[in-house]
Amino acid sequence: MKISGSYNLPVAPERAYQILQDPAILAQAMPGCESLEQIGPDEYRMKMKVLLAALSGQFEGKVRIADQAPPTSFRLIVEGSGRIGFLKGDGLLKLSPPDAGAAGLTVVSYEGDAQVGGTMAAVGQRLIDGTAKMMIRKFFDKLASLAG
Amino acid sequence: MIAQKFEYTAPKSLDEALHLLASGAKPLAGGMSLIPMMKLRLAAPEHLVDLRTIKDLNYIREAGGQLHIGATASHYEIESSALLRQKCPLLTETAAAIGDVQVRNMGTIGGSVAHADPAADYPAALQALEAKFVLNGAKSERTVSAADFFVDAFTTTLEPGEILREVIVPIDDARTGTSYQKMVQPASGFAIVGVAVRVRQNARKVSFARIGVTGLSNHAYRATAAEKALEGKTPSANDIQNAAALVAQGVDANSDLHASADYRKHLAAVHAARAIKSAISRIT
Repeated sequence: MKISGSYNLPVAPERAYQILQDPAILAQAMPGCESLEQIGPDEYRMKMKVLLAALSGQFEGKVRIADQAPPTSFRLIVEGSGRIGFLKGDGLLKLSPPDAGAAGLTVVSYEGDAQVGGTMAAVGQRLIDGTAKMMIRKFFDKLASLAG
Repeated sequence: MIAQKFEYTAPKSLDEALHLLASGAKPLAGGMSLIPMMKLRLAAPEHLVDLRTIKDLNYIREAGGQLHIGATASHYEIESSALLRQKCPLLTETAAAIGDVQVRNMGTIGGSVAHADPAADYPAALQALEAKFVLNGAKSERTVSAADFFVDAFTTTLEPGEILREVIVPIDDARTGTSYQKMVQPASGFAIVGVAVRVRQNARKVSFARIGVTGLSNHAYRATAAEKALEGKTPSANDIQNAAALVAQGVDANSDLHASADYRKHLAAVHAARAIKSAISRIT
């Protein structure tokens, strides 16, 4: 599944780049994140609990940051699995000031590929796209509220 | 597969149910979505409270110029209600289009609306009807409009411990025509796209139009741009096409194996045109 979109963060690109790689802030912004601990350079172990409708599932996985080019882009590699399925994703995040050149604003555009498998994908195929969009939106909304 | 162990309570009264829900139990209102998820072990609630055993929640009646439908009215009860057929045919038509016979016998309007599946049929009709929902908690009661209730996929304004107790819909006069048109996903019976239309004409001019869309994005919504394009017109075939083309405008459409986002948007316009034509043709 292809994932792409963009979000406007109310901070300058340097600050946006910084908070997008700050484990303490990311742990608060990621929906359902229970813990995020550093296990190596640019590598983190993550535990999350997904609650959606009646569905509930625990996931454990790794988040890795690569190809860092502050403050304009980096690559995010995520993989996780739990009893109800697994998730793998690889995406490029690009940060740029808005076209109008307003200060203190960053357009974060993302583009990537995600694979979801296991029971949750077999049963919930028609819901994955919408759910992914909702979680990304929740993540950025929370991040924007924490950024200030 | 067999569900994980859980407690089951069949309360006699709404108060008893709300008391149990306040302490963390989950409501069961037909179980047409919840039970399959429990059997696949995607969901594992520890305690279920069956709302269908509460007699006070099962009714369809007219009061104060509106129609009141209790949360546990089944899709079949709505589909076959003579009162609704006469005074709110959009709801009977929509109920008849849900899933299959088994689902319509067991599933309830309160369960479907509270679950807020992005492809459920009722939310399109309830948006077009500008329905109101009465929500009850152990110590609270409030009324929320359909426009405010549906927030995102499976996300509503319901608080933990709160249930949807009643759906309220208006009674339309004979100058109003309605129609629900859907593209069905044959395996699940859900709508790939569903469009509900409610139009009123005055001397052949559309004085009022309401259009609800489901299946296209994360929650059912009202296509206000399309409504405005119809209002004030004696719509020609061209006007209808133009209005229908607006229902998906600016919408972040979902995609899956069955339909890509672009195809879904196309389907929405096609079904909107059909629903508008059919609704106008039903005005007597």
